[in-house]
Amino acid sequence: MLTIKLAFRNLFRNTRRTILTVMLIALSLTALIAVDGVMRGMLTLLVENVTGTIGGDAQIHRVGYRENLDVDLFMENAAEIERTLQRDTSLKSYSPRVISGAMISSSYNVAAGLLYGIDAERERSTSKVERAVLRGEYLAGGDTELLIGHSLAELLEVDLGDRIVLTLSETITGELAQALFRISGILDFGMRELDDNFVFINISAARKTLAMTDQQTHEFVLTFLNPEDAENPEHGIFQQFNNTETEALSWLDLNKEISFIIEIMAYSSLMIGAVLFLLASLGVINSIFMSIYERIYEFGVIKAIGTRPSEIVRLILWEALLLALISCVIGMLLGFAVGSWTAANGIGLGEVEFSGIAMGNNIFGEFHISQFTTFPFFAVLLTLAAALYPARFAAKIVPSEALQRSL
Amino acid sequence: MTAVISTFEVCRYFGDDQETMVKAVDRVSIEIERGEFTAIVGPSGSGKTTLLHLLGGLDNPTSGSVELSGTNIADMSGATLSDFRRDHIGFIFQSYNLIPVFSAEENIEYIMLLQGVDASERKRRVADMLQQVGLEGLGNRRPNKLSGGQQQRVAIARAMVSRPQIILADEPTANLDSKNGIALLDLMKELNQQSKMTFVFSTHDEKIMSRASRLIHMHDGEIELDELR
Repeated sequence: MLTIKLAFRNLFRNTRRTILTVMLIALSLTALIAVDGVMRGMLTLLVENVTGTIGGDAQIHRVGYRENLDVDLFMENAAEIERTLQRDTSLKSYSPRVISGAMISSSYNVAAGLLYGIDAERERSTSKVERAVLRGEYLAGGDTELLIGHSLAELLEVDLGDRIVLTLSETITGELAQALFRISGILDFGMRELDDNFVFINISAARKTLAMTDQQTHEFVLTFLNPEDAENPEHGIFQQFNNTETEALSWLDLNKEISFIIEIMAYSSLMIGAVLFLLASLGVINSIFMSIYERIYEFGVIKAIGTRPSEIVRLILWEALLLALISCVIGMLLGFAVGSWTAANGIGLGEVEFSGIAMGNNIFGEFHISQFTTFPFFAVLLTLAAALYPARFAAKIVPSEALQRSL
Repeated sequence: MTAVISTFEVCRYFGDDQETMVKAVDRVSIEIERGEFTAIVGPSGSGKTTLLHLLGGLDNPTSGSVELSGTNIADMSGATLSDFRRDHIGFIFQSYNLIPVFSAEENIEYIMLLQGVDASERKRRVADMLQQVGLEGLGNRRPNKLSGGQQQRVAIARAMVSRPQIILADEPTANLDSKNGIALLDLMKELNQQSKMTFVFSTHDEKIMSRASRLIHMHDGEIELDELR
């Protein structure tokens, strides 16, 4: 207890230096908590954009379909799959889709694009299509309704109510088919890929145009009540639909580049933390060395009266531990304050596109338990590690040499 | 009488070059008996401090031996030597050298903490020592709130509280005025007579050395005269 008391009082011998060292460690921790919070918020936004637009948390396809979106590789038993999905209580929603490449023509221009036949009702709770309607109306079930991305509409020089002709090849026979639609809504997803290439019609009209029965579907898109289920390959959905006929893939499997980015972002927090605490550690080493040099005669005295070298190491480590604990408390309080501000107000990005995804919303900082457990733990650990070198130096002080300064 | 501490042909040389080598202590052989009140006297640079450091195991001799109650401490190092100093030797320094962030009581208590003495015994011994050195009621003061004489009394209490076999004091009165210096020596002498604890101190002050029962005169690292009084 007396050693702890001595360590604590030693900290406040040079209050200004102690405050500076405390602030160095505390502000490093604050910065790390704030950066990690923003990183987590950015990831959440990124994932929401990926899964919340049209991709969903997971998708079911026939095996091989995703390789080249071959329209002939459809699933035959849509009703049976739907029954299974309806029974699964972990699902928030699901929606069947028919997908095909198409030539999209207007009276003025022509473009190649992707046709999505969607179940308008189910799609409401599964994707962002309805919320992306910029002008006009969402699909209401009519045979000729069509939604088109705003930039594709500009390319084709069309607007609401204008005619669009879709030319595509029928399933199985490969015969060319054409169908006439009228634009009921203009879409703005904020994603260039969707706004430039995609058109959406009712699934019944798509099946009819592609000569498919109402049991035939290319894709089921799923959302989970708990989005983390999508990252669990042991989940029932993945166990059940990954077989020789069908495959069920999570959004991470469907967007390999995004999962790579997520991994990079996780490492970037680690790197930022490492750099911050390396710098702080150098400050701690410097500060403790200065405090040892100032007290070198005192170490000579306490060694002379019988303090073991290991006890001197312990004393310096106690000083470092107390310094780290005080710093962590301040760092966590400041980190909480900064984190709360970013969580409440967000950081505006403007219209930034990240990996092909528009992130127009503010990034809101997020708290995570590790910011207040793991980060401070490593701050304490690194401070103690930084103190080891000066502690060893102090332990090796020769009393007779140290005492020359005061005798 | 039994020798508490003895040296045999002990030398402490500084520097490796024969021409520039300083012989701080050269072939010194002495025996200090239990209960002695001995002064090592001599001018500055005569080797008093180096000899005290060798006697206290603060420095290792270049050659020769230093034995404390039959144990050669010249070959000890690290934790073993620290433990030996803690349990057998008390030190008093010229500049008091108390721990400035500790109160007088805590300064006295610290060495007993190192010895593993339990808290109640520590408290009892601290109170007892403060009374013996005439500092009752001042135990809570930090060194900067005590006069030089009071600080040196705390240093004496710190040196004695661990119940060592010998107390080594390096010019304990050098930073005190003559009145306080003599008062401090009288206190040390009184404690020596009461407790039969062995005291060895260095000084070059004539008034102080007159209190000693044995004078070891040093000059250029060698013993010039060893006289009992």
